[in-house]
Amino acid sequence: MTTRRHALKASAALASLSALGMPLRALAQGNELVVGAAPPITGVFAFAGVGLNAGVGDYCEWRNETQGGVAGRRLRYISEDSAYKMDQAMAVFKKLMAAHKPPVFYGDSTAWAKAAAVEVSKLGSTMTAAPSYASELADPKKVPYYFMAGPTYAAMVQMLLTYINSQGKGGKKPTVALVYSDTEFGRDPIAAAKESAQKLGLEVVQEIVTKPGSADVSAEVARLRRARPDYVIFHGYVLAPIPEFMRQLREAGLTNTRFMGTIWSMDKASADAMGPVADGWMGVMPYRYAHDTEGAPMMKAMNDFARKRRPEMPYTSTFYTHGWLVGMTFAEIMERCLKANKPLTGDNMKAALESLTNWDTGGITGHAVDYRGHQIAAGRIYRYDLGKKLYEPASDWIKTV
Amino acid sequence: MDWLTFAEFSLIGLFGGGLLSLVALGFVLIYKGTKVINFAMGEFMMLGAYFVYTAHALLKLPLWLSIAAALACIAGVALLVERLVLRPLSGQPVISVLMATIGLGAMIHGGVDAIWSGQNLEMPQIVPRQPLLWGDVLVPGSIFWSFWVAVALIAALTLYFRFTSTGIAMRAAASDPTTAYALGIDVRRTQQLTWIFAGCVGAVAGMIIASINSLSPALSSTALGVLAVIILGGLDSIAGAIIAGLIVGWLEAIAVGYFGGKVRDLVPYAIVLVILMIRPYGLFGTRDIERL
Amino acid sequence: MRIGDFRSSYAHDEALLVTPVQRAWMLAFVLALAAFPWVGGTYLTYLACLTGIHVIAAMGLNLVTGYAGQISLGHAAFMGVGCYTAAWLANHGVPFFIALPLAGTMSALAGLVVGIPSLRIKGLYLAVATLAAQFILSFVFREWEPVTGGVRGVNIEAAQLFGLSLGSDRAMYYVVVVTAGLMLLAARNLFRTRVGRAFIAIRDKDISAEVLGIDLFRTKLLAFALGSFYAGVAGALMGYFFRVITPEHFSLGLSIFYLAAIIVGGMGTLLGTILGAAFMALVPEVLRGAVSLLSGVAPNAMALLSPVREIVFGALIVGFLIFEPHGLIEIWRRVRRFFHLWPFKT
Repeated sequence: MTTRRHALKASAALASLSALGMPLRALAQGNELVVGAAPPITGVFAFAGVGLNAGVGDYCEWRNETQGGVAGRRLRYISEDSAYKMDQAMAVFKKLMAAHKPPVFYGDSTAWAKAAAVEVSKLGSTMTAAPSYASELADPKKVPYYFMAGPTYAAMVQMLLTYINSQGKGGKKPTVALVYSDTEFGRDPIAAAKESAQKLGLEVVQEIVTKPGSADVSAEVARLRRARPDYVIFHGYVLAPIPEFMRQLREAGLTNTRFMGTIWSMDKASADAMGPVADGWMGVMPYRYAHDTEGAPMMKAMNDFARKRRPEMPYTSTFYTHGWLVGMTFAEIMERCLKANKPLTGDNMKAALESLTNWDTGGITGHAVDYRGHQIAAGRIYRYDLGKKLYEPASDWIKTV
Repeated sequence: MDWLTFAEFSLIGLFGGGLLSLVALGFVLIYKGTKVINFAMGEFMMLGAYFVYTAHALLKLPLWLSIAAALACIAGVALLVERLVLRPLSGQPVISVLMATIGLGAMIHGGVDAIWSGQNLEMPQIVPRQPLLWGDVLVPGSIFWSFWVAVALIAALTLYFRFTSTGIAMRAAASDPTTAYALGIDVRRTQQLTWIFAGCVGAVAGMIIASINSLSPALSSTALGVLAVIILGGLDSIAGAIIAGLIVGWLEAIAVGYFGGKVRDLVPYAIVLVILMIRPYGLFGTRDIERL
Repeated sequence: MRIGDFRSSYAHDEALLVTPVQRAWMLAFVLALAAFPWVGGTYLTYLACLTGIHVIAAMGLNLVTGYAGQISLGHAAFMGVGCYTAAWLANHGVPFFIALPLAGTMSALAGLVVGIPSLRIKGLYLAVATLAAQFILSFVFREWEPVTGGVRGVNIEAAQLFGLSLGSDRAMYYVVVVTAGLMLLAARNLFRTRVGRAFIAIRDKDISAEVLGIDLFRTKLLAFALGSFYAGVAGALMGYFFRVITPEHFSLGLSIFYLAAIIVGGMGTLLGTILGAAFMALVPEVLRGAVSLLSGVAPNAMALLSPVREIVFGALIVGFLIFEPHGLIEIWRRVRRFFHLWPFKT
């Protein structure tokens, strides 16, 4: 037999050996509380996914270290990459469900959350969250086992529109353009946004849809430029192609146009990467920024833990903060259930979630949190300061809904 | 009918078509030389851009040196690919070679994702960005200058194939390998050279596109739209690639300009279907004569 | 060693299971399949369902590309047509066992339309035409909101058969296995008929086939239609299985996955389809297991799972093409020959 055949047989044998790796991991400790997750660590959302993954996982570790877990039971964070593909996220969900039956699960996208909602409702055993603020999901009746750690996208855009409305000078209202990506995530708030704009009397002069991951946006920019909007709201992106839009519009002479985004575009690293055109970039954030630790003991604790645990991460991103807050919420609702001697079922955890009417997050959010609507219905508008390379608040904390 | 808007979209489309022609040229070169459609062209483009990024942003080399180094590395990769993947498969049926290039593309794409991660990275600026304003018609500088880079490269290659002995040898080997062998031309060497040229052409297109927008592994999917260009122009015609590139670029810009970004993907493939129904071998392609 | 294998009648010659040993093995296999969900557990049943669906779809692609030689890069789009048709029918109250064949028929019609260019073009050009069809159909899935739900996708109620809800993975497993069995049997029988042999003739040299009197255009269209029928049924099953579908399920990546499956398995063979589809579906699982083992040693290994999966996918395709062009089935045949001839060598 040739050496080629030998090599093939050897590699096949090795591969089948590694299949043994599967059941080995499944031997979980009996008394642990499993926090399952399928974050988008690779793929188009990787920029955010790495931070989200780190945030939830680190919270679990921090909680184990400082408080011995939840009601005496340690938290175990098990996550597998979903590559921002819905079917992969579903596969991870099913796999973790079969192996560990986690009482709480963190998904990867708007698409997954909507898709899994039916399944999760039927299972009735797990409370889920995901990096999705889609309006449909903030419905305690239709989607009972999902919550979002922030306001809905539609509410965020409405906050931006309200701010724009307040900026009208001399009786003339500013014109607005909407730029969004052709995904579930991107399309979610647009209908509501157009309605809000109409109610406020703001004219939406142009609506630009871009293909996700598209390389060349020149034609779209040309279309936008001709409409000459005063404000451009971007939604449905983490970073690209926002900087290209901004740069081309500035180069085309629209120096007075202001650009705004929603939560996922509001990270410091994204703004830093935009370069000089990021000056004046604004958007909505439901949390405080990691550098804003005044009177925020949990924020400080989070920063300290992150610095210690992840020295390669120079600062705490908004994605990490989000993950941390989701971890906090998971832990809090599980603790409330366990302390009341109730088993960790979907309904009990839902009741626990809705009992959080005035929950102090230790400074991560601006005010105490009210989870009765399965969302954190508050946020603030921030503006990026190019000189300090930091986000500064540009409004008060606004309650939505 | 707003003529100025139409003119603006048209110009953006025509100039943008320069880059499309460049990538199409890469496809056509390989098809002419080795009768293979290289579905991994998008990955070559992406790889070229990543090499420039690594050399410039990570190794801190000056821009011109980064580009030269990246082209050298791409030439190396093209050589490896030709030797290890395409040579063993020469003579195999079409589907095998097609799937081999697809598999190769997947490997390169996964490799890039693993090494550089999926994040969007900022490329150094390669072509000047300052837009050109003629009246109310604005053309972004990057599109305009990339068009001239493409023109220069295509002209250089055409002259090379016309006047240098290696170029003529490549053309000879492409049109009739057996006779070329008989005349003493090393056909294997010309095929290697073809791959190197195509790889470099793709890499240049890739680095320019990446410097205009941002650099991420998603760059490789832009090459699929170029299939429309080569089908329209004819799989083995360089002139066809150029003209078809301009036409497809123009059509895409007009469609996106008037109907929005959603149709960006649709336009090239609608064109492909129409062409395949009316004139399958494209505008300038040679008709396949099959002998029993 | 196989002995006593002589055929004494035409029926015996054409039979699928020739020797008693073969029949015994087949019976054992069927029993194992039937018992599998009770033994394997929920996740393995889920994987098995998925594999079954992949087998049906891959069989369709093998019909078009492996047996009839028409390269189709748009197979996933046909699955999508079947899936969305089934979803629409199910949401309008059509029962499962009617919706399934109707979905297949709708896909077959789509396949007919896409096969029309085969009148004028072949080979690489036809492949690009099917690629164009893939993208155009993807666009339709994303934009035709009233029917497909657009980017949001569509929900499907669990299938009902004689009043029994087929919502659980275990129930779907049996549905998938039975459907797959029937369709594979149909495909196998197809190649004992004139039509099937016409497919093979077209693949080998279509001009000669035309000279022999085979109507090229009709046969090519039939190949596309049949292949798409299989894809449509697989897509409909996928819809009932996942119960939620979005357009991104039916992307070019899935088409390439199926092409890889039939190449790795062995083009133009039935067993090759099964082997290839199962192999390609299970490789990511094995990879995940390997990466979990590694992440004990290197904590960042998990982040590399997706890229490594892609690299392995590409490497498998290229590797099989270079080293084992006839696919897994060639390996299978070698093993079988070893056992048939034992204790002799060749």
